[in-house]
Amino acid sequence: MKSRISLMAAAALLATASLAPTAQAGELYVFCNSGVTLQAADLRDVFMGEKQFAGTIKLQPADNGASQAAFLEKVLKMDAGKYSTTWTKKSFRDGVNPPPVKGTDSEAVEYAKRTPGGCSYSGSAPGGGVTVVAKL
Amino acid sequence: MHAPKRLSFAFGLALAAAGMAQAAPAPSASQRIDSLEQRLAQSQKLIEQLGAEVHALQAQIAQQAAARPAAAAAAEPAPPAAADQSERLASVEHQVEQITASSNSAHGEDRGLPLHGFADVGVGNHNPLTPANKGAAVGSVDFYLAPQLGEHTRGLVELNFEVGEDGGVGVDLERTQLGYQFGNTGTLWLGRFHTPYGYWNTAFHHGMQIATSLRRPRFLAFEDQGGILPAHSTGVWFTGNQRTGAGKLGYDLYVTNAQAIDGGVLDMRQAGNADGQVTVGGRLSFQPSSLDSLQVGVSALSGRIEDAIDPANDTRLNVFALHADWDSDALEALAEVYFFRDEALPGGGSHSSTAGYLQLGYRAGRYTPYARYERTALDQADGYFAAQLSGASYHREALGLRYDIDLKSALKLELAQTHNTDGTLARPDGSYGDALLQYAVRF
Repeated sequence: MKSRISLMAAAALLATASLAPTAQAGELYVFCNSGVTLQAADLRDVFMGEKQFAGTIKLQPADNGASQAAFLEKVLKMDAGKYSTTWTKKSFRDGVNPPPVKGTDSEAVEYAKRTPGGCSYSGSAPGGGVTVVAKL
Repeated sequence: MHAPKRLSFAFGLALAAAGMAQAAPAPSASQRIDSLEQRLAQSQKLIEQLGAEVHALQAQIAQQAAARPAAAAAAEPAPPAAADQSERLASVEHQVEQITASSNSAHGEDRGLPLHGFADVGVGNHNPLTPANKGAAVGSVDFYLAPQLGEHTRGLVELNFEVGEDGGVGVDLERTQLGYQFGNTGTLWLGRFHTPYGYWNTAFHHGMQIATSLRRPRFLAFEDQGGILPAHSTGVWFTGNQRTGAGKLGYDLYVTNAQAIDGGVLDMRQAGNADGQVTVGGRLSFQPSSLDSLQVGVSALSGRIEDAIDPANDTRLNVFALHADWDSDALEALAEVYFFRDEALPGGGSHSSTAGYLQLGYRAGRYTPYARYERTALDQADGYFAAQLSGASYHREALGLRYDIDLKSALKLELAQTHNTDGTLARPDGSYGDALLQYAVRF
């Protein structure tokens, strides 16, 4: 009986362990207003203020505080401190303001939906009304 | 200053720096925290609103259920409680959407104008900019804002308060630029701006917190603080960059009012000049895709510099410069070299001079030790240098240590030795040592 309980516990642990990475590695959706056409390769430049127009449309990226850590890691490949410092330098040198920060996924989606040139990201599928540029 | 005194002073400063470092608070998470706290507060409000809605709904359902007679409930199956509930839930959902939309619109574009800036204060056996003074000193307080005035119209305004050699506070309209943005091609600015040559002048300028070292190389200092180049200009400037397969190409082209030397100091003639002379310049820089920590560039500028006191001493200033910057997570390396080929006007001879520096820094966590060597060899027969109070040659060796207290503030300690060479009666030769401490912040 004891050994059966141990086996079951081990199996449960293994199952949990195998499921855990899937649960932690959340997906990230980067999207823009439906009027914006962008390539995934442009995203770094858009969120670092290097690319400010898509065709004739002025881009207006917004960060999403709820998913920012994942975005910085997966798209910009930098930590929050470097992101802040890089933007301070960019802003001071070129007179470009850093993206505003949205508080939740739903705020980020709503912003991109209703803002011409708006782009943001979320940890859940954004639904209709926006164009998904990258799913990471 | 005698060597033992100098050493003990430097030791004292180092102790003070160490003490302050230990007493420093833990690093803040990021500048986003304030913003996130605001969002959190708003989310809490939203939750409270929703909670109130749910309570009200539950109370209504309970009242209706209690009021409805059991027999009547059995006799009329048409509007069941479940249907009523889902209708009300749909209503709540709709209200939530409206609250969310309202919350989002409150965070729309019209969020006011963010104001940022820098400030620095220090103490040392010499003032870092005016070596005749010693003790504690205020460096400068600098504010800037960058309004996006329309889809294509931009602004950049910077106001600087700095303390002069006599202790008086001077106010400079550092930058006042209004520009039209031509898509991703570039922006055409009109106004007063930081002259785009080399690297340092546009990269750091008054932002001491974003510069690793405690001060600028002396020959690149501001016009009234020992610099020999026009750090500010008033005119038209086109700037932009293009990403190509090989890397990012940056370009700058400007035409400005020609500067003048007035009272031994370069003046950018921001109200215009009397003779309509112009200075023309440009810069090209390149950042390879395969090595994006590296930037290399070339600059050039040329203009007729008027000597306000002696018109016979006007000069055609011709400068060519090279710069390189390596900025990775660990290593920072900066180098700039300037070649002058000035012509005396009218019809005089030409004079060659050079100036340059090399700075290396290594980021080890919060500590960044750095070293810099700077040297100028300025032809004193060149009227351009002879007329400037800061026109004598010099070389300086500096060792420093930067400590990042947190993301927005840094403490810097610098020990340096400066040697003034080929001076005149007004600016005699001589050497002096510096032990300097600076507290620099950004906000």
